[in-house]
Amino acid sequence: MRAALDFCLETLRQKNVDKFQCSLQKTKQYEMNLEGLDFTLIRTTAENTLSITVIQDQRKGSITVNRLDQDGIVEAVDSALELASTSQQDPDYDISPPQEAQKFTSGPQEPDPERMYELLKEYTQQVPQLFPSIKLMESALLHRQVHAYFVNSNGVQFETEQGNYSFSSIFSSKEGEKTTSFNYTGFAAKDLEKSLLEQATLKTLLTQSVEHLEAQPFSGKFVGDVIITPDCLESLLWGYVMTFLSDGPMIAGISPFQDKLGQKVASNKLTLSSEPVSPAMADGYFVTSDGFAAENVTLIEEGVLKSFLLSLYGSKKTGKERAKNQGGCFVIQPGDKSLAEMISQVKQGLLVGRYSGGSPSPNGDFSGVAKNSYYIEDGKIKYPVTETMIAGNMAEMFANIKEISAERIDYGAGLIPYMLSTGVTVSGK
Amino acid sequence: MIIRDLRQFSSLFRQYTELRSQENRVLSIAYLQGNLVQNVRNATSGISARVYSGGSWGFASTPDQSKVREVIAEATSNAVFLDSREQMGLGSFTPETPVVEVNYGTTKQRLTQKEIMDFTKAVDDYIAKKYPNLSSRSVRLDCLDMEKTLLTSDGAYLYSLIPRSIFVISLSMDKNSDPVEVYDIAGGRGQFEDVFSKPEDLFPTIDELYEHLVKKSEGVYPEAGVKECVLDSQLAGILAHEAIGHTTEADMVIGGSVAGDFLNKQAASPLVSLADFAHSYNGEPCPIPIHVDDEGTAAEDVMLIEKGILTGYMHNKHSARHFNAKPTGNARAFTYRDEPLIRMRNTAILPGTSKLEDMIASIEDGYYLIQPSNGQADTTSEFMFGIVLGYEIKNGKLGRAIKDTTISGVAFDVLQNVTMVSDDMTWSCAGMCGKKQLIPVGMGGPAVKTKINIGGR
Repeated sequence: MRAALDFCLETLRQKNVDKFQCSLQKTKQYEMNLEGLDFTLIRTTAENTLSITVIQDQRKGSITVNRLDQDGIVEAVDSALELASTSQQDPDYDISPPQEAQKFTSGPQEPDPERMYELLKEYTQQVPQLFPSIKLMESALLHRQVHAYFVNSNGVQFETEQGNYSFSSIFSSKEGEKTTSFNYTGFAAKDLEKSLLEQATLKTLLTQSVEHLEAQPFSGKFVGDVIITPDCLESLLWGYVMTFLSDGPMIAGISPFQDKLGQKVASNKLTLSSEPVSPAMADGYFVTSDGFAAENVTLIEEGVLKSFLLSLYGSKKTGKERAKNQGGCFVIQPGDKSLAEMISQVKQGLLVGRYSGGSPSPNGDFSGVAKNSYYIEDGKIKYPVTETMIAGNMAEMFANIKEISAERIDYGAGLIPYMLSTGVTVSGK
Repeated sequence: MIIRDLRQFSSLFRQYTELRSQENRVLSIAYLQGNLVQNVRNATSGISARVYSGGSWGFASTPDQSKVREVIAEATSNAVFLDSREQMGLGSFTPETPVVEVNYGTTKQRLTQKEIMDFTKAVDDYIAKKYPNLSSRSVRLDCLDMEKTLLTSDGAYLYSLIPRSIFVISLSMDKNSDPVEVYDIAGGRGQFEDVFSKPEDLFPTIDELYEHLVKKSEGVYPEAGVKECVLDSQLAGILAHEAIGHTTEADMVIGGSVAGDFLNKQAASPLVSLADFAHSYNGEPCPIPIHVDDEGTAAEDVMLIEKGILTGYMHNKHSARHFNAKPTGNARAFTYRDEPLIRMRNTAILPGTSKLEDMIASIEDGYYLIQPSNGQADTTSEFMFGIVLGYEIKNGKLGRAIKDTTISGVAFDVLQNVTMVSDDMTWSCAGMCGKKQLIPVGMGGPAVKTKINIGGR
């Protein structure tokens, strides 16, 4: 592997490229799959990913290939140069500056097939026993090992060896002709010590799925409170940062937050960080795709915007500071109320288990279906709902946060609480 | 680079085996505000084997195509490991032996990278020059070639090259400090040279998109609630795919989908017929023409709903045996390292007899919904689609544009309420369907009139 990388670097040097970066990643995956309760497949895959970016006369070209033979590498370098030669000039194309060479290692490097089988078998036995109405759809337990190099012409050299397990399961409930919405969850882990059902929100969501056999459509419309569950909040956070903080809207100049660095953009109850190098993250990362050693970064501290999520290019293009990482591995600081206390203070609202909706509009407007959700009235959960929509504005929802829960869910790729906010339109049939 | 002659390895097969060599090639160019933010080529090639042992499957893949022997051995080892523990004792599948070679690549001289880049730049320059008041614009070109060979131990053989080339054009303008955005897609099946001839051909699309943007910038929030709506063809296509199609994938039916209760029952208005086409419609190739699937089954059209009656499911070999049905050729894998799953191919509602203008004229208070952003559906057939372009209908006439919203409903209810279906048919080829793996799919349809729950504020 190192020999292929060295050959690639030598080829790039011989071409007298002004600036280049090169990453070579070898990924091995071992995966056990269930369809329903049946083991259907064991899958082992190997993949090479050689990514080359060249900047010649401030023109840029990038190519990704998986052939590592010498002919393939020469072809890839030539192709990257051809792409660059047809590119327009841009003074903001660049590569990362010199940094100290580092090697990062994390997690198990080899799978334990016997233990994987044992855990998955236990899952197929526990689920029908504890939740007879549950219909498992697809479930997969996998081990992934990635060995990667990142090198550039400024002398940057990083090496990473990273392994982890991850599990995901999709399910619904069915009794007679009653069928529930599907739901899903998962987690990443550095070991296989704990039973699958004991991790993240699996047991909670399976319980809720069965409860939804009695779901009913909500009638009417109101503007009120929503409690967003950790599974739902994790996906909404991506919408939030991509709409307001990332390269695309910032370069386009359409992010409503573009001039708000250091200003209040959310409730002071919200402290949001991205922590890919935290030891607690089984599925973190150590090197950004533009060649920087990743660091944990606070994006919003007590409601104040502390960092955008700009890449090197986005930073140069907008004249704003580059983010210390590329997002993900979100951590929200806990509040001091339990979920039960949060529910008890809702006059009329919804506990939103899953949001099925499009990406927010550039201004943050969103609307979608509240799936796997419950209607709350006078501080109590009344019933699970179907066919209920929520609509609001992402910026307003995070500005209107009333509470963040004390309990948080560890997904191995994020540490997420429940969030109570208000001002969201809930409409039923 | 793929291995064209896989038959040289047939002596290595010991059990039922599928051997596939595949390369996916991508070219992606994107301008954002005149900045070239993406100029990338990807090529991913390799070989995979899937082996069957007593009801258990083993799969292995490698990018090193010289390691055919090793990849078959590893897949076999995986199947044997699982079979030794599960001991399902299931027999082999009925052999399928189609032999097909199809090439949808261009026969024209290939354009150079510079010519394609100049074409893309000309499209961006047109927007910049003609519409300087925009707050943002983006032009993105995505070209994908999927080339593969497949050989099964039963003797099925496939060579196919299926390309698609797509421009996605987005325009934004500020209205009272709020950005308003519209987008459209041009292109479809074929390599760049067969799909696009000159930049000027895209200018009318851009001009029309700008007109929509101006109207949307003056747009209003729709009124939330159940409304009579005309769903234009792109929405009908996504309804066919997301809301009905997924529930009729046989693995979803086994997993509890509501379609399991509807077989041979009235599931939609008699005006509605819906099919998943394998490779051709009315004698023309579909957006994603599948002649033989990745299990070596000859692909057939699947009539899912005929005049309102739910008539069938989409199958792979495993589900076909479960339902005592024939495999339909819906087992598809996106890259060489993906195992085949039950996937749609070209899913469409079939045209009716009404005219779009009559459908709009028949609505007193409702909406004409044109452009979806994305869509999701459920085992219950409850769905949601983002709507990024639509208009009010008041007293049978189009009114103000509406701001971004979402529609939702239970698809089988929505189809029960269909009262008109237009007599035209439009295909879209830009979609990537996600189900463990992403995969390109075709969607199509006429316009349909129905009642639907529309989000608002």
